[in-house]
Amino acid sequence: MKIAAALSSIFASREPATCSAGARTVARMMQPSQPARELDLLLIWSAVGLLLIGLVMVYSSSIAIAEGSRFTGHQSHYFLMRHAVFLAVGIATGLVAFQMPMTQWQRLAPALFVSGVVLLIVVLIPGLGREVNGAQRWLSLGPVNLQPSELMKVFAAIYAADYTVRKLDAMGSFKRGFLPMMMVILFVGFLLLREPDFGAFVVITAIAFGVLFLGGVNIRVFALLGVVALVGFMVLIWTSPYRRERIFGFMDPWQDAFGKGYQLSHALIAFGRGEWFGVGLGASVEKLFYLPEAHTDFLLSVIAEELGFVGVVVVIGLFAVLIQRAFVIGREAIKLERYFSGLVAQGIGLWMGVQSFINMGVNMGLLPTKGLTLPMMSFGGSGIVANCVALAILLRIDWEVRQMKRGAGS
Amino acid sequence: MQKQRTVTFNHNPLLKRELPVWRSRFVLMVLLACFLALVGRALFLQGINNEFLQAKGEMRYARVLEVPATRGRITDRNGDMFAVSTPVRSVWAIPSDVNLEPGEARQLSKLLEMDVSELNAKLASGRDFAYLKRQLSPDVADQVAALKLAGIHQQQEYRRFYPGGEVTAHMLGFTSVEDRGQEGIELAYEAQLAGQPGSRRVIKDRRGQIVEDVESIRPPRDGEDVVLAMDGKLQYLAYSALREAMQKYRAKAGAVVVVDVRTGEVLALANAPTFNPNNRANLTGAQLRNRAFTDTFEPGSVMKPFIAGMALESGKFKATTKIDTSPGRLTIGTASIGDAHVHGVLSVAEVIQKSSNIGTVKMALQFSPEEMWRLFNQLGFGSQLDLGFPGEAAGRLRPAKSWRPIEQATMSYGHGISVSLIQVAHAYLAFARDGDLLPLSLTKLDEPKGSSKRIFSPEVAREVRAMLEMAAGPGGTAPQAQVPGYRVAGKTGTAYKLEGGQYVKKYISSFVGLAPASRPRLVVAVMIDEPNGAHYGGAVAAPVFARIVEGSLRALGVAPDAPITPLQLARKQGVEVPAVQESM
Repeated sequence: MKIAAALSSIFASREPATCSAGARTVARMMQPSQPARELDLLLIWSAVGLLLIGLVMVYSSSIAIAEGSRFTGHQSHYFLMRHAVFLAVGIATGLVAFQMPMTQWQRLAPALFVSGVVLLIVVLIPGLGREVNGAQRWLSLGPVNLQPSELMKVFAAIYAADYTVRKLDAMGSFKRGFLPMMMVILFVGFLLLREPDFGAFVVITAIAFGVLFLGGVNIRVFALLGVVALVGFMVLIWTSPYRRERIFGFMDPWQDAFGKGYQLSHALIAFGRGEWFGVGLGASVEKLFYLPEAHTDFLLSVIAEELGFVGVVVVIGLFAVLIQRAFVIGREAIKLERYFSGLVAQGIGLWMGVQSFINMGVNMGLLPTKGLTLPMMSFGGSGIVANCVALAILLRIDWEVRQMKRGAGS
Repeated sequence: MQKQRTVTFNHNPLLKRELPVWRSRFVLMVLLACFLALVGRALFLQGINNEFLQAKGEMRYARVLEVPATRGRITDRNGDMFAVSTPVRSVWAIPSDVNLEPGEARQLSKLLEMDVSELNAKLASGRDFAYLKRQLSPDVADQVAALKLAGIHQQQEYRRFYPGGEVTAHMLGFTSVEDRGQEGIELAYEAQLAGQPGSRRVIKDRRGQIVEDVESIRPPRDGEDVVLAMDGKLQYLAYSALREAMQKYRAKAGAVVVVDVRTGEVLALANAPTFNPNNRANLTGAQLRNRAFTDTFEPGSVMKPFIAGMALESGKFKATTKIDTSPGRLTIGTASIGDAHVHGVLSVAEVIQKSSNIGTVKMALQFSPEEMWRLFNQLGFGSQLDLGFPGEAAGRLRPAKSWRPIEQATMSYGHGISVSLIQVAHAYLAFARDGDLLPLSLTKLDEPKGSSKRIFSPEVAREVRAMLEMAAGPGGTAPQAQVPGYRVAGKTGTAYKLEGGQYVKKYISSFVGLAPASRPRLVVAVMIDEPNGAHYGGAVAAPVFARIVEGSLRALGVAPDAPITPLQLARKQGVEVPAVQESM
C-alpha cells in the first residue's frame, strides 16, 4: 500500500493532468471505510491464487534439482529465491504499468511492437543472444536474462488491438484489413521460429488473429483461411507417415517411453500417482530428476502428483475465472465504446487462455510437446514480469471502465 | 480518442457493437470448453487410468533391494570368536554422473588411498557402474559421504575378520569379497554360515538415492554360528610349535593335527607356511595349501604299528615272538630291503621300538594282500574322511589284486601307499581307543558322532600302545617325544620323497603319537616336509609332538601319569645314548 501511494505520488508529479484520477483511486483504496470496488476482486484473487500456488510449487518442484546441481551451488532454495525476486519485480512493474492510462498504451502500441521486433532480431544475432538447450531465446542483461518473446506477447495483444481499432472500417476487406496483419505476423513468426520458439509463435499468432476476429474481421475470410489451413495441414499429414508419426507420436508415449516419449510418459505417471488428493506437498517422486523441466514447462505435472486431481481442478478453475473476467472486462469496455481497451483485455484473456490450455494439454498428453510455460505459475523471469504487466493492464482497463461508469473519468 | 471517433463515424455503432459481442462470447466459450476437456482428461488420468500409470511408474523407480544378512560367526569350543563379520561399506560410482573438481578428486583419492590418476581411470570407464573401493571402514566411508559428491554412492557390506590371523588361517579358510566361503570351514559350512538376504521394495530417484521405503518383502535371515571342535589354546600351541620347528630346520612345509581321543574332535590343525586371512594381498598357492587335508605323502614307518596290530590280532604272533632281522637285508624277487642298523633277533615289540623294516615285512608277508588291504581300508586310508573339508585328499591305496609281493612288503612300512596327515591321525585313534575307530569331527560334539568301528581287540590295542611307548622311550626311535609328567607313545616316520616317479634325497619326517599313554586323551600327528640339518622323524617331528602334548595336556587339565624326575633322567640318558635310527 505504501508502495502504491509512493508510486501514485511519483506518477502524479510526472503527469498531473491525466493522473489525478489515479491518485484519487489509490487514496480511496487506502481508506478502509471504502473497500476497493474500483477493481475486479475476482480477477485479483484468481491471479493472486495462481501466483502464490505457482511460487510454492516452483519451490517444491525445483528443490531436488537445485540441491543436486553444481550450477545452482547446491542451494535448495535457488529457484525459489529467484522466482520470488521475479515476482516482486513483476508486481512492481505491474504497479507502474497500472498507472499508465490506456490512451498512453494505445499511443505507444506501434513503438512497443517495433521495439519487440527489434529485440527478437537482436536475440538472433550470434554473441548477443544466449543459447540454452539449442534454442537462442535469451538476451543477457547482466545478472538476468531477458526473453523477448515473452514481452512480445504483451506487445502483440496491444498492437493487434490498436491495429484493429485503426482499421475498424476495413475489417470486412481481406486485402486492407487482414493481409497487412498477416504479413506482420508471418514476419514475427519467422523470427520466432528461427530461435526456435514454436510455442511463442502459436500464442502470438493466436492473440493477433483472435483480436482480429473479435474486432470483426470478415467472417468469411476468416473461415476460408481456417479451412485452407486445416486442409493444408491434413494433406501434409496424410501424405507423409513420418510426419504423421511425429505429430501424433505424443498420443502413445509408451511406444517409445525411454526415447521421444520420455518426458510425456513421466508427466502422465505423475498425474496417475496423484490420484484424487495427491501424494502430498513435497512428496513427488517425478520431480526427483525423472521429469525434466519440472519447475517450468511441466509444473502442472508436479502439481498433479502432489496435490492430485483437486489441485489440478483448482488451477484450471482459477485460470477459467481469470479468463472469464478478462473477457467480461473487455466486453464492458466495448460497451462503452472503448474498443482499444476492450480488445486489449480480450487479447490478454486469449493469451492466458491459449497458453495455459496448451501447457496443460501438453502436460496431460492432449497436445504434442512444445516448450510453453504455464502463465503466472512456471519459473521464468520474463514470463512472470510479462504476466504481471498484462494483469496490471487488465486491472487498469477495468478501473477506467468503472471510473467511466461513475462518470468520473473522461 | 480522436482516432476512435473518426473510425466509428463511418459505421453504424449499433451493428458494430453487436458483432464483437457474440464473437467474444464464442471465443470465451471455446476456451472454457477446452478447459473442461482438460478437467475431463485429468479425471481420466488421475481417477480412472491411474493404476496403469502407477504401474508404469513402479517399473521406472521401484526397485527391490537386497538386505544383506550377517554371516554366522565361527567360534572355537570355548566360545571364543575366530571369524566375525564386521560392517564395511563399498564406494561405487555412476561415472557419467560424476563431475569432480581437482580439489574434490584429491580429497576423494586420499580417503580411498589411491592415486588421483587411478581414480580418474575408474571414473573414465564408460560403464554405468564402477566400484571405486570395496570394504571401506565405516568411519572413512562417512568421511567420503560427507563430501557429498554427485554420482558417488555407497553400499553396505560385511567384511570377514579373523582375530586368530595366521594361527587359524587354514582351519577357517576365508570368504570372498562377496561374503561367500572360499576355503576351509568357511566353505565347508557355507550353507550353515551364509545368511539368507532379505529384500525390500524401495523407490529410488533417478540418481539412485533411496527416497522411500515402500515395504519389506522378506526379512533377512542371519547365518548360524559354527562352533568348532578346535580349542584356541591348543591351536596356538600347535601353530607355534610347528613354526618353531619350521624355522629350526628351514623346512619347506609342515602340518600338525591334534585329535581328542574321547570324541574324535579335531582340537587343533595347523599348517606352515601360512598366511594372514585378514590381508590376502600377496598370497601364493603354497601358503594357501591346507597340507594336513590336501597333501598326501608316503607315511613311512608310522604304518608299522598297524602291521604289528594285525599280526597280534591274528594270533600268529605275540608281542614276544622272535623275528630274525639279520643280516639286515632281505631280498624279495629282484629287489632288496634293508634296515639302518643290523638288529639281529628282535621281538615284535622291539621291531616297532627299533622300527625294523625287515621285521615288519616278515610279519606282513604272513598275510595275504587282501587281508592287508582290508586293514588299511578299515583304517580309512585310500578314501576321503568326508568331513566336507574342501580339497580333502583320499590318498592312494591300490586294489589288493594288483599288489606284487615286493609292493606288499614296502607298503607294510609305509612306502608305495600315500596318505594325508589327518588320515594318519584318524587311524591312530584305533590304538588310543583300545581298538575302536571313531569318525573325526571339525565341529564341537557333545558325544561321538556316528558309529565306531572295531579294528583291534582292546588287548591288542593296549599291547601295540605299549610298543609305541617303548618307541618313544629310551632305546626307541623317538626319545625326544618325552614329556615331563606324562607317559607318551608314538611312532616316527621318515620317508624319501617321490619326485617324478623316483625317490630323491629329500625327506618327509613325521611323528604320530598319543598321550598320556596310560589313558590316552590326545592323538597328535606331526609332519615336516623337507627339513634341513636333520631328517629323522625322531629328531625333527618328535620334539614338536612333545611341546604340543606338554602344553595341551596341562591346558586340558589331564592328570599326570608319570613322576617328573625319572623322565628328566630318561631324557638325559637319551642325550648320552643316541636314539635308535629308524629304518627307511
